[in-house]
Amino acid sequence: MKARLSKLLAWWPTEKMLRVAAVTGIVALGLMVLGVLDPRPLQVVISMSVSQVFGVAAFFLFLLSVAADIVQARAKLQLQLEAARAAAANGGKDGGGATGAP
Amino acid sequence: MHESYSLPAVLTLALAGLAATILFHYLIFRPKLNAQVRMRLLFGLGVLPAACAAASTAYGMHRTTERSFCGSCHVMTVHQEDAENPESNSLAARHARNPMFGGTNCYVCHADYGMLGYPMTKIGGMKHVYMYYLGGYSKMPIAEALKDIRVAKPYPNSNCMQCHSGGLASFKAVREHRALQEDLLSNRVACASAGCHGYSHPFNKDQPAEEHAQR
Repeated sequence: MKARLSKLLAWWPTEKMLRVAAVTGIVALGLMVLGVLDPRPLQVVISMSVSQVFGVAAFFLFLLSVAADIVQARAKLQLQLEAARAAAANGGKDGGGATGAP
Repeated sequence: MHESYSLPAVLTLALAGLAATILFHYLIFRPKLNAQVRMRLLFGLGVLPAACAAASTAYGMHRTTERSFCGSCHVMTVHQEDAENPESNSLAARHARNPMFGGTNCYVCHADYGMLGYPMTKIGGMKHVYMYYLGGYSKMPIAEALKDIRVAKPYPNSNCMQCHSGGLASFKAVREHRALQEDLLSNRVACASAGCHGYSHPFNKDQPAEEHAQR
């Protein structure tokens, strides 16, 4: 489960999903407002049910996107650190040979 | 928007407006995701929509108790018109003229009471919406609906006795009340029946309304 979540977060297209979340959120808000501006039975029922499903979905996408952003940033930092360490290690070896150069 | 319960309505519109502004700003300008943008989106997608949902639900819950809401399904327009008719002598109309019932007289009389009364009434209301939109009532002519539509279960006297408790001397002074006390409490005899206080909505019973009014 944890491994699957990590995989999902590593793959998650953060920017795109945040845009999807924003659009879903706007749809949810529109449906909530619809129940107030046009308070007929179907509109009111949709305002109190479907809109909240959309709202929760948007918030869930936002949370996943933030978590994915953090995980991906950490992974990127980790890669940079490893690259820096590898470069330092290589630099140390090369540096030893280079000291005798004119 | 309905004026009698405007605070949740205004809150819904204001909160939705704020949240939508944040979301549209994000969609149009596409800022880079940093702590500030995350916090703004937390408000735009979490805090403000949650508050907006609470306000719209409060508004919706209140709106569903209003007579005009019940009457917005065409099969209920005759009931609504009767309740609003100052000339009508039906039990429903007489109660609607009472300020304690006012514009919510359908709900006050038909709501179940007790701890679970409110949610059970709302769940029952969902069945009405289902029956109207998917059960064929939306296409039913009013004349047919008046014959066909009945309360789902016998109307409980306990709903009447929420106000007419039966404890006052004026209630006990009525000979029929005393004689039928057991039957009234056990729902064997209905308060709103032809022999007692008359039907609440006489026009959808077999007898014509004029005949009922003369009783």
